[in-house]
Amino acid sequence: MTQDAIVVENLSYHYGKILAVDHISFRVARQEILGFLGPNGAGKSTTVKVLTGQLRLQEGHATLLGMDIAQDIERVQARMGVCFEQPNLYEQMTALENLELFARLFDMKSFDGYALLKKVGLEGREKDRVANYSKGMKQRLMVARSLVNQAEILFLDEPTTGLDPVSADSIRNLILKERERGATVFLTTHDMWEADKLCDRVAFLNQGKIASLDTPHTLKQQYGQRSLVVEISRNGQLEERTVTLDKPETSETMRELFSREKVVTVHSQEATLEDIFLKVTGRRLTL
Amino acid sequence: MNIKRIFTLLGKELLHGPRGFILTMTIAAPLLITLVVNLALGDLFGNTAQMAIFDEGQSQLVFLLEEASQLHIAEYDSSDAVKDAVSRGAADFGIVLPADFDSTITSDEKVAVTTYIWGESLAKNRTIITATLLDLTHQLSSQPEPIILESITLGDEETIPWSRRLMPMTVMMAIFFGGLMLPATSLIEEKQKRTLQALAVTPASLPDIFIAKGIMGAILSLVMGTIILLINLAWGNSPFFLLLTLTLGAVMAAEIGLILGTLINDMNTLFAVWKFGGLLLFGPAIIYMFPELPQWLNYIFPTYYVTGPIMDISLGTMDTQTLMQLAIALGVILILALLQSRLINRLSGEVVQQATKESEATG
Repeated sequence: MTQDAIVVENLSYHYGKILAVDHISFRVARQEILGFLGPNGAGKSTTVKVLTGQLRLQEGHATLLGMDIAQDIERVQARMGVCFEQPNLYEQMTALENLELFARLFDMKSFDGYALLKKVGLEGREKDRVANYSKGMKQRLMVARSLVNQAEILFLDEPTTGLDPVSADSIRNLILKERERGATVFLTTHDMWEADKLCDRVAFLNQGKIASLDTPHTLKQQYGQRSLVVEISRNGQLEERTVTLDKPETSETMRELFSREKVVTVHSQEATLEDIFLKVTGRRLTL
Repeated sequence: MNIKRIFTLLGKELLHGPRGFILTMTIAAPLLITLVVNLALGDLFGNTAQMAIFDEGQSQLVFLLEEASQLHIAEYDSSDAVKDAVSRGAADFGIVLPADFDSTITSDEKVAVTTYIWGESLAKNRTIITATLLDLTHQLSSQPEPIILESITLGDEETIPWSRRLMPMTVMMAIFFGGLMLPATSLIEEKQKRTLQALAVTPASLPDIFIAKGIMGAILSLVMGTIILLINLAWGNSPFFLLLTLTLGAVMAAEIGLILGTLINDMNTLFAVWKFGGLLLFGPAIIYMFPELPQWLNYIFPTYYVTGPIMDISLGTMDTQTLMQLAIALGVILILALLQSRLINRLSGEVVQQATKESEATG
């Protein structure tokens, strides 16, 4: 049986008297992309900081790649890559120098900074000082830095924030390629569409607890309501009617609409992760 | 701890560490003070050391001294005349050679020689004369220490020249300003720009990061201290001990800088602390400037145990008390190292205070 890449059991973290993470448990399989979703203050960054060794484990147990983070954090860190939400690059250095510094710290014998920068669309700007980079370019360099050691586990905190749609898409493709290469991805994001498209499973974190954890498809089936949005024309005005599917009266309602009204368009609509999060936690994801 | 990673981080510090105002100040300030002090109060480029001699016999040493280009020799016909010349400041240094000086010294016996030192003479002149005297007597004797100098300072002790009074301040600026400020600002900058977080998730440990920054500060401190002493011609006659003392000072400065860098989160606070803390660091230099102040006050300042020995060695007055002070300096360094390791332990629990606060804010 393949060992899980991340195993977390009863992990808790306090800031003084404030309980930021409250006895959470989950597993992430190898080559799985897990989305970690929650509003500000839910405890997701704290969880990432504990798992990456930035904060010391206070309570519970966590193993990454079979190694206990309380005992072997340096060995674990050698095999993980972390992309932070806010840029924390050496701005007085060039992009290439930034990557080469981290490659040396990871003791990478053969490292091709040019190739990696090309992967994230920064070819031709390798020797520019990072201070002269735009916000989006810095974000792409942050992603590149998390890949210097060909990590087995990637912790990506809002990796597409601040990127234009094309760049964001190229980063998403890169994440999928990293998974194909064999990496396990722990993705923190506010972008529900991104989580839906990229993640094999998503965890909803609320007030330090995991409210729900499953595949997006299962969550939608379990909590969502499929519906049809019907646009009708009445006295020259357009009106919208929503017809919930999976109900006994659905077919009758639709038949009536078509016979009595002038139907202009019909669209199917399924529940979004945002809707499901609201349903599960009573809170909105994005504030 | 990993040596390879420490050198990688040290290379980063040297090539891309703090620049601009801080670095300029750490290098320029001590050099400027030295030049101003020497040009205004002393004489950096001229002023040959003046030596007065009364030779009761006909010693070869006098001929050797006369040939030494770095000295100006004036012979007198009595020891009182030598004493008078020194007390008037006509000579920096006076020496009375007994009649049997040469015969005693060549028979491998030690000779006690009375010397007079003008209280206001420059440190470099005293050093030049002492070093030349010892060097030339070695040509007459195979003994390691053929003469015992019995020194008598003449003139008003309170009239120590300002060039000498300011020397500890210059030396301390060279050793402590750069050695302390560079690691402190580098660490604060890494915290402010959150790059410390990025390093903390690599296999490089916090001690690796701190040691690299400490080495950078200590190197700057050592180089600046050496340059300032060389410019002042105050290298003394025990270069090994002087280098050892400078090294201890450099390590102490870097440790204080790292502690400040760990505890302080922004540059404004660092400069505020520097303004107040500077008084504690530079206390010995201030006390040295004003000899009328009680000298025991020096003992409460940890930096005294570095500057005291530096001054002793530079002036050629090193003794067992100097060694005792060096031992205390070593003790201070060990205590600071212990404190630093406790702070690193605290930091490894909460890599960066700011990061922790961000965690609370962003979840």
